[in-house]
Amino acid sequence: MALRIMVVDDALFMRNMLKDIFVRAGYDVVAEAENGEAALELYQETKPDLVTMDIVMPKKSGIEALQEIMASDPHACVVMVSALGQDSLVLESVESGAKDFIVKPFKEDNVLAIIKRITA
Amino acid sequence: MDMSQYRGLFLSETREHINKLNQLVVTLEQKPDNRETVDALFREAHSIKGMAATMGFDQTAQLSHHLEDLLDGFRSTGKVPASTVDYLLDGIDLLEGLLDDLQSDKPERSVDTYLAETPQQQPVGGAEIQANNPEEFLIAVAVEESAEDTTAKGLEIEAEAGSAVAIISEGSGQEPTPEEADAFQVLVDLAEDTPAAAARGILILRELEKSGVLMSSKPEIAALRSGAPCRQIRAWLRTSLTKLHIEESLLRISGVDKVHFVDDRRKGESVSREEKTRTIRVRTDLLDQLVNLTGELITNRYMLRSASSGLDWQQLSQTLAQTSLLIDDLHHHVLQARLMPLENITGRLPRIVRDLSRKTDKKVTLQLNGTSVGIDRAILEELTDPLVHLVRNAVDHGIDKEGVVTVSARREKELILIEVADDGKGMNPDLLRRNAVERGLMTSPQANALSDRDALMLVCLPGFSTAQKVTETSGRGVGMDVVKSAVVNLGGTLEIISEPGQGSRFQMRLPLSIAIIKTLLVSCAGRSLAVPITRVQRTLDLTTSEIQQSGQNRTFRLGEELVCLFSLAEALGLPEVAAGAITWVILTDVQGRRIGLEVDNFLGHREVFVKSLGFPLNLLRGLSGATVEGNGQVVFIVDPQSLLEDRQLFTNVGRI
Repeated sequence: MALRIMVVDDALFMRNMLKDIFVRAGYDVVAEAENGEAALELYQETKPDLVTMDIVMPKKSGIEALQEIMASDPHACVVMVSALGQDSLVLESVESGAKDFIVKPFKEDNVLAIIKRITA
Repeated sequence: MDMSQYRGLFLSETREHINKLNQLVVTLEQKPDNRETVDALFREAHSIKGMAATMGFDQTAQLSHHLEDLLDGFRSTGKVPASTVDYLLDGIDLLEGLLDDLQSDKPERSVDTYLAETPQQQPVGGAEIQANNPEEFLIAVAVEESAEDTTAKGLEIEAEAGSAVAIISEGSGQEPTPEEADAFQVLVDLAEDTPAAAARGILILRELEKSGVLMSSKPEIAALRSGAPCRQIRAWLRTSLTKLHIEESLLRISGVDKVHFVDDRRKGESVSREEKTRTIRVRTDLLDQLVNLTGELITNRYMLRSASSGLDWQQLSQTLAQTSLLIDDLHHHVLQARLMPLENITGRLPRIVRDLSRKTDKKVTLQLNGTSVGIDRAILEELTDPLVHLVRNAVDHGIDKEGVVTVSARREKELILIEVADDGKGMNPDLLRRNAVERGLMTSPQANALSDRDALMLVCLPGFSTAQKVTETSGRGVGMDVVKSAVVNLGGTLEIISEPGQGSRFQMRLPLSIAIIKTLLVSCAGRSLAVPITRVQRTLDLTTSEIQQSGQNRTFRLGEELVCLFSLAEALGLPEVAAGAITWVILTDVQGRRIGLEVDNFLGHREVFVKSLGFPLNLLRGLSGATVEGNGQVVFIVDPQSLLEDRQLFTNVGRI
């Protein structure tokens, strides 16, 4: 069965871009969320195999959402998506249990390599 | 709290304490009932314990704690039984080994065996603490660690600690044990500009943790957590997986550029050498002076700027003159900051002499003179092995049954002279000549043509040894050549002075600093070359009539002495410029013999910053480095010693 992915980002542009990459690679994008709160709800609902999580978002930040997801599901597989220059936020995410991180601007190959590695 | 920043300081300071421990034990052996020595020993061990415990270096802390307790027991009587001295020395060796481990990022070796061998006479404390249960033991030690006043009771706990720890490690049979698993260093290079490198580093360490037992890493995970910069991760890993497997899994991580492995011991040592040079203690008043000087230079810069924008030539030249004074001053002070007393490396010598004289059944006294002289840190470190070797040689070959080995140091203008002398049987030039011929290193006429002084230098030829039999410590014929090349590499010279029955003196002359040196700038075959001033004894201008042709060689007379003359251009393989009425000559010293080096002209003195030559230029003989002139021209630095040593050794022209 194809890998089931949830994409979390407040920018529709980014969500579409990631979604396209995943669909091209044969993955199944099962949910999209535009903030941390929605992400938490959809996570419980769809139980995806993997989450890509933007860090800076309204309502609930990506790090808070990550921490809550990890608390409810210690095996959750969350990959953070950050902009350049957010090193300390990335560090905090990794400390909070993120499996890896993608830095914008990213390349398709790079994103897929990261996904492949952590779901191997 | 992130302790890694204190690691370097811990290592260098503990080395100093170990040095002192070694010296003190040797003193103790000579005067066994000196209370002050026992007290001093106790304090050294106590200091190490405190530092090691703070750093969380468990085995080092345990061992120093044990030594401290042992010594504390002797403080009341002020006497240490002779039988305990060896035990103490073994303990100090073990401490040194532990430091080596820490320095090369390896896990600390176990001290259990040593602790179990404690001599019987130690005082026994009051209540015994049963530590069959590991948890109980941990509590007991925790209590003990926090208690400032350590008594003999602590010893009991430590003695038990060994077995308790053993039980713990036996119980956890999950991880591969050191014997069956492969332990090595993994170096992971991150690609340049990897974003969020610290976070990347943590992911790499996590991956490594999955592959086996991650024993330590640099940067440590704690440092990465606080966002430490990270271009390379060095991790010490124990694993049963193959390197290929580990490499593949690491390369899958985004941002990982290269993965390599180090399991060669020697490479590990070079890493530790790197680290050794990293910390240096500088007096704060010296730092203040540096800050002041920098401040003045900044002011100077503004003055220069205003002079140049106002085209005020007088102000410009005045300010420039001031700037150069300030830079001189700054240079002087920075050099000061790099100086360390020779004591830092002679501290080990008493112990070495003691062990060696015991082993060879000789009575040798070691005298140290002038060891407070300061030497550039970089030179000092390179000097450690040569010095130890010379001292070993003196004990092993120089002294027959009983004698004195003297290590002395003093400043000679821009040089430091370090001499290792013995009052032993001396060296016999004839024996050395014969030996060289027997070993096929030269023909008999060649050997006979050597001056006595040159014959003594034969011991520095690779493959030459006069020792009747090979001993454990020296005399394998490797050694003196290594000593000599180490000294020459540092820009120094080695000289041997000896006569049969009169003892031997090995003199090393070394520059004060190797980064910035004074040179004599000369022109030679149409280009500028620099000769280190330490290599120039004096300069001469000779008229054509003063130079004589004798066989293949040109010579000139200097007082009583007949000196060989060589052309620098010819020696470097450059086209020679026809000599004018006057021949400009640098008087220098090659293997203890004076020679003249002909150049086209003298261009003046320069202080130059030496840059080392990269491959393949470093293969060129006779060039020790290069520097860049004010006009951007690259000027090579000539080392007459290495340039001429071969041809010099087998001529006898210089003899009177």
